[in-house]
Amino acid sequence: MADRQAFAELYAATRAKLFAVSLRIVRERHLAEEVLQDSFVNIWHHAGNYASTRSAPMTWMTAIVRNRSLDILRRTGWEVQDEDEVMTNMLEDPAPLPDAALGTNRDAHDVHRCLDELDAEQRQSIALAFFHGLSHSELASHMKKPLGTVKTHIRRGLLRLKDCLGQA
Amino acid sequence: MKYTNPDLRNALAASFVLGTLGGAARRRFVRLVANDADLARMVETWENYLTPLASRVAPVEPPQRVWRAIEARIARTQNQVRASANASSTGSWWESLAFWRNWGLAATGLAAALMIATAVIKPQPAAESAMVAVLSTPENVPRMIVEKHAGMLKVKVVKAWATLPENDLELWVVPAKGAPRSLGVVSHAKDSEVRMANLDATLADGAAFAISKEPKGGSPSGAPTGPILCSGAIAKVPSQRV
Repeated sequence: MADRQAFAELYAATRAKLFAVSLRIVRERHLAEEVLQDSFVNIWHHAGNYASTRSAPMTWMTAIVRNRSLDILRRTGWEVQDEDEVMTNMLEDPAPLPDAALGTNRDAHDVHRCLDELDAEQRQSIALAFFHGLSHSELASHMKKPLGTVKTHIRRGLLRLKDCLGQA
Repeated sequence: MKYTNPDLRNALAASFVLGTLGGAARRRFVRLVANDADLARMVETWENYLTPLASRVAPVEPPQRVWRAIEARIARTQNQVRASANASSTGSWWESLAFWRNWGLAATGLAAALMIATAVIKPQPAAESAMVAVLSTPENVPRMIVEKHAGMLKVKVVKAWATLPENDLELWVVPAKGAPRSLGVVSHAKDSEVRMANLDATLADGAAFAISKEPKGGSPSGAPTGPILCSGAIAKVPSQRV
């Protein structure tokens, strides 16, 4: 069936990226497998909803995967890992290629550029929360800062990102 | 907590997308979004802002068993759909297919146009097989949408072209094999309709639509003479058979 074929191609084109996004958040392979499975079943059934969004397809799918990952992460009550491991995971993909075909590239340049314009602590707290699913209190203990300070970094950082992206 | 303050709503939407909104607050927020279109828009805006960060995550191959599990779960529900909803005409099944069909467009570089295409397709539970194409510039900027309706084509302007005092825009259907066929001159600034006697036959083996810049009144030769300003593959959307 043609649509199953298209769905298989979609999976093949996006699975490694989406699995990696989930793996960083949920940390354990079997949980990331569960996320990927749930997300693609969800995508298959709810692709019709995509029509009402204003997002590029990869953005839409990544959001589904991140939301599912965060649900599962909060469910399992994960603890903060050590710093080296976090920093290792933050290494960037030297070849972020396939997204050129998935319509996220221009946006990706913008958001990375805008993130670079933030203060170091704002940038670090937003990146840790986004990529690793750290909660406010986990961020505070990881960054060895009071909870209120971390929340302020995030809030101000997000506002500056919004201003920067709004002009882009 | 009050959810009417716009700044607070925006902050919560940002926090939800970033992932720092957790626990009971997260679950409550999800329920709120389901019934609050404005809040859903805020979430989508933040998703569009932040999610592209994920593009630089180094890929990791999942094991093959994940795909087998996905296939098994889909097959199971699909059989249920066939068994229980043979006469259903809600269209949700076909609507969801628009995404897969258009995925082909995305993979060939028309991703930016995809959302427009699906938005166009969705509101029409068409009685006949529908054709739609999003025409993008060589830089992948969607500029026009061509839709087939009964007996005519609708040509929609996504983004108006600069006024062309010396020229007209001409629409072409490009068959899988052979030369482009003219569908006439279309407006550079507003939506237009193309009606011609043998429209269905002219479109029959069409693979793509294209817009070229021509002298006033259209190409004098019957073939495109000016540059192709935008083009797009034709996606055929299945008719709903009840």
